[in-house]
This record gives sequence, C-alpha cells and structure tokens, in this order.
Amino acid sequence: MSDPRNPEDETGSDGVGDWPGDAIAAGMVHYTPYARALGMTYVSSSPGRGTILLPWRADLVGIDGTDILAPGTLTALIDHACGLAIMAGLGLEASPATLDLRIDHMRPAAPRASVTCAAHVYKATRTIAFLRAEAWDVSADDLVATAQAAFSLNRRSAK
Amino acid sequence: MSTPIDLAALIATSPFGRFLRIETKIDEHGLVTILPVHDHLVGNVMLPALHGGSVAAFLEIACLLQLAHETGTIAPARAIDISVEYLRPARRETTFARARVRRLGRRIATVHAEAWQREESTPVCFLRSQLRLPEAIAGS
Repeated sequence: MSDPRNPEDETGSDGVGDWPGDAIAAGMVHYTPYARALGMTYVSSSPGRGTILLPWRADLVGIDGTDILAPGTLTALIDHACGLAIMAGLGLEASPATLDLRIDHMRPAAPRASVTCAAHVYKATRTIAFLRAEAWDVSADDLVATAQAAFSLNRRSAK
Repeated sequence: MSTPIDLAALIATSPFGRFLRIETKIDEHGLVTILPVHDHLVGNVMLPALHGGSVAAFLEIACLLQLAHETGTIAPARAIDISVEYLRPARRETTFARARVRRLGRRIATVHAEAWQREESTPVCFLRSQLRLPEAIAGS
C-alpha cells in the first residue's frame, strides 16, 4: 500500500519549484477542460503525491444498465493524479507529459461508486518521473486498479 | 467473419461512448474509430493538446469495437490491463484509430490500437489491451 517513507527524499528537494499550495493544486484539476468535464475533484497533495476523486455520474457509465464508471474514465483520473503528484513535488514548471501508462484493472468499481486515485512519484530524475498509482471505490484496502507510469519532465528552471 | 453488427447502435448503449461522441467508419482496410474534437477533451490549454486520458479512453473503445466487429457479438469484453504509449502530443483536432485483434483466445483477447490525426503514418498514441471475453464468445 502507501509508502511510509518521506516522498520529499525520493523526489529530491533540489529547489526546482516550490509547491504553490492547495489553491493552485485544486486549480490544476478544476481548470483542465477534460478533468473538469469528467467532474474530477481535487482531494489532496503533498510533495510527490496527489489524490483526486472522480465522483460517479450517470453519463460516465461504460454500459447502460450497469451503473459502473467506464474504465476509460479511470485512465484519465489516474493520468491526472500522476500529473498532480509530479507538480506537487517539482512545481508547476515541471510541465509533465505522459510517456507511458500501464493500468491493471483488478475488478470493476461498484455500481454508482465514485473512484479515488492516489499517485506518488517514487523516483524522479532531471528529465523523467516514475510513478505508481492506486485507485479504489470504497476502501483503499480494496483496490479497483493499480498503475505504473513514466512522465517526461521539462524542468526549465533546472540547470 | 460473423455478420456485421451495428456499431453505432452499440456505441449508443454506452453513456461514456456518447459522452465522447465516438463515431465509426469502414474504409478499405477495415474499421476506423473516430473521436471528434471537442473543447472538453483538452488536457493542456497552452499547447493546446488533448488530454492523455481522453485519447487512451478512445483507444480502449476502439479495441472493444474492433472485437465486437470481428466476433459479431455486442456482449462487452472487459479490460484486464492496458498499456498506453504517448508518441506525440495529440493536437486539438479530430482523432482516428485503427485496432487489431492480435490474439483471440477462448477467454482472453489481446488487442492493439493506434491513434492518429492528420497522417496515419505518424501515430500520436498506441494502446495494448488484454480483454476478458464475454461468455457469448468464450462459449462459442
């Protein structure tokens, strides 16, 4: 489950951007058109970590009659939580872009259940961030999906 | 190849498919799935570029539609795992996808899909999926 180690040590507090705080973090979710269209809600962030909620909505269901969020909505949720985790560790100028993303769908989410995704940067070099993410509906002890991703970074302020 | 099924009717049974306004066409090489451009698909306003999550979801749907198209069943397959590679930024433009069923087993299918915008030869995104087949196919 979640890594008890201090993520700040892993992402390297090398002075590349300071985390601008919750208001801007929330804005990263709220002002991204696709995240907003899906109704994603900012939950929390800390250096190298980000958590976002995707509230259940009838028009995001995969198949009529199942009331289960489409797997594709979780892909966006996971991708966005990873982006948030990177910016929370490296600052907004990190300008992360997804290189690849792998998702294991362990089980479908429960009908009419919202899904939360928590992502963390477990290693960041100057140009690449490596992340793991977990998504659950009811309890973080019973996951619907896990993910692993690599993002390229554009750390313009880095030497 | 089974009797072709009505893909537009199949998409209509998916609220999320309707949300993305997915369309399909058949060309000389087979099925092409289309993601019409819309402002709400944008992930980066500055570039601007489509959200990686919208392109990936589109490719997942392209895989499911290809499977339905080839097997002639509308019973939904379920993703076991997916892997996405982002090859180029997807511009704020209509996006196309072609999927290939690489393996159709009794219970599991491997389906690959690639998305492009102006030129099919310069793909923007590639997705590989392992899908658990519905009983309707698995039992046949």
